[in-house]
Amino acid sequence: MRLLLVEDNVALADELLLGLQRQGYAVDWLADGRDAAVQGACEPYDLVILDLGLPGRPGLEVLQEWRSAGLSFPVLILTARSSWSERIEGLRAGADDYLTKPFHPEELYLRVQGLLRRAHGQDNRSQLEVGGLRLDEGRQTVWHAGEEISLTGAEFRLLRYFMLHPQQLLSKTRLSEHLYESDGEPDSNVIEVLVNHLRRKLGRDVVETRRGQGYRFVGCPA
Amino acid sequence: MNSIQRRLGVGLALVLLVFGTLMINGSVWLIDLGLRRHMQNELRDAAEMLLIAVVRGPNGLALDEQRLAPAYHRPLSGSYFRIDRDERIWRSRSVWDFDLPQPEEPGMASGFQPGPGEQQLLVYRANFQRFGEALSVTVAQDYRPLSLAFAQVRWLLSGLGVLAMAIVLFLQWLTLRRAFEPLERTRQQVLQLQQGRRARLDAPVDRELEPLVAQINALLIHTQERLLRSRNALGNLGHALKTPLAVLRSLLDRPELDTLPEWRQGMREQLDGIEHRLARELNRARLAGEVLPGAHFDCDRELPALCETLQKVHPQLAELSWQVPAGLRLPYDREDLLEVLGNLLDNACKWSRQRVQLRIEALPGAVRVTVEDDGPGVPEAQREQLLTRGVRLDEQVAGHGLGLAIVRDTLQAWGADLQLGESKLGGLQVSFRLPV
Repeated sequence: MRLLLVEDNVALADELLLGLQRQGYAVDWLADGRDAAVQGACEPYDLVILDLGLPGRPGLEVLQEWRSAGLSFPVLILTARSSWSERIEGLRAGADDYLTKPFHPEELYLRVQGLLRRAHGQDNRSQLEVGGLRLDEGRQTVWHAGEEISLTGAEFRLLRYFMLHPQQLLSKTRLSEHLYESDGEPDSNVIEVLVNHLRRKLGRDVVETRRGQGYRFVGCPA
Repeated sequence: MNSIQRRLGVGLALVLLVFGTLMINGSVWLIDLGLRRHMQNELRDAAEMLLIAVVRGPNGLALDEQRLAPAYHRPLSGSYFRIDRDERIWRSRSVWDFDLPQPEEPGMASGFQPGPGEQQLLVYRANFQRFGEALSVTVAQDYRPLSLAFAQVRWLLSGLGVLAMAIVLFLQWLTLRRAFEPLERTRQQVLQLQQGRRARLDAPVDRELEPLVAQINALLIHTQERLLRSRNALGNLGHALKTPLAVLRSLLDRPELDTLPEWRQGMREQLDGIEHRLARELNRARLAGEVLPGAHFDCDRELPALCETLQKVHPQLAELSWQVPAGLRLPYDREDLLEVLGNLLDNACKWSRQRVQLRIEALPGAVRVTVEDDGPGVPEAQREQLLTRGVRLDEQVAGHGLGLAIVRDTLQAWGADLQLGESKLGGLQVSFRLPV
């Protein structure tokens, strides 16, 4: 999952970057509203965390521009402005959730997970459950047939992306675009190796290979 | 309450009444005076005519009946005379059985002398010498028909005066109403200001009202700007303090601190305290207090947006319904009331299973706002606790348990009380009564 964090306070951004990366997200960080407007429109982000009081351009304006350009990634507003009238304004501008500073980092992670699940049609569930697998995002492990299987950070990221896009054909390029930061895209072999690791842990059929096209997550038969 | 228009009307009526009465009585009196003077001349002439009618006859002096005016022959005609010479008295036939008294002094007798019937007589006496004999001629004329005519004229004039007064008062009322129209318009606008249906007064056409309206408008703008400025300043202060707090919280999550769990816990508690205090004080400071015109809470406009927002934040919610009388406007600051309703509804949404209900009922002179959910509710024993200062029951739920504390602070500033009870839906029912 690739996230864009737009926050002008460097200290906070540093901590959030670390925390979100520990949660297994690839995160790009921008501090200026003008940069955010451009980059948000051209990179395939899965979610954006947006501060409202940005230098360059106000966050609400950037958000409105994205929405009128038809960009539908979930946006979580992170701001110190906590009044309900501002909340209403933010959500009307097209945000999906609103978190006010100061916040418990834990809560931010939960909201991000929730928004991602919701954006992929997995509402009303506290954990990601697809194709006989249940992903524990807190512990970064997966449960299969009553058994907890541990995952490495990279495996966890890939499996989460697969589970959020079940039965969809995903090209290697798309996978690496969504799993790594813009400056750290690895070559496509890494994806291949990770898929093989997942197959070893969860069974051969968990991911289907389509030659020349990419991968499809099928899940484990119960 | 005093009305300027009524006061002016009463004043004018009194002035008209006094002057009208004086004018009518004065003019009647003057005419009466002139007429009496005229009558005196007439009576003198009549006396002289009578003197001429006294002729020398075969048996001394005699009265020549031929030379007397016909009115002296008709009984009780109103014109009378008597001529006294020594012991003999000639009386006109018209006197009939009435004894016309002779004034003691020659000249006009003062006032009216009683006459036959109801007649009022003006009496004039003159002394002459005729053919060597002393004659005293007394003539009298009935004044009563003229008195009656004067009374009639007076009534007529009074009637006309009253009519004129009515017309003048009506015209004055019209003029005043025209003159007061801009004032009335301004009054209506001030009323609309109070009801929150307008944000400014329209500039009046009249020079007299211009400074007043300009001053009110300037005051409105000034107050609004000051509130906006202080809210912005508070927002900035909040921003300046909250972001570092967020950084501190994130720092506490560093794995390096995993080995010092009690330090982490201690710092977390202090941060919670700071944050709690900050949020409440900022909220209290930003309360508008007196509601500004144009910033009233329009239920039809605000509630759909608020509920839409809550639905978005709580996607698990199946039903968020509100029952509010159509077109209801509450005379409370929009942002403050949004804060109260937002926090209460947000709280209810967090705890609810599927349904949350907002109800605003209009009571005489007040509204009752009720928020209910179908969640687990709060046992009666704990409700008290929930309301006592600083206790938070929703600490464990995602989000910080500031909602109720902030709501209570705001309601306290409005003189309203938060009541907790059991909802028909099964969960907690929170309600309060706002005077309107």
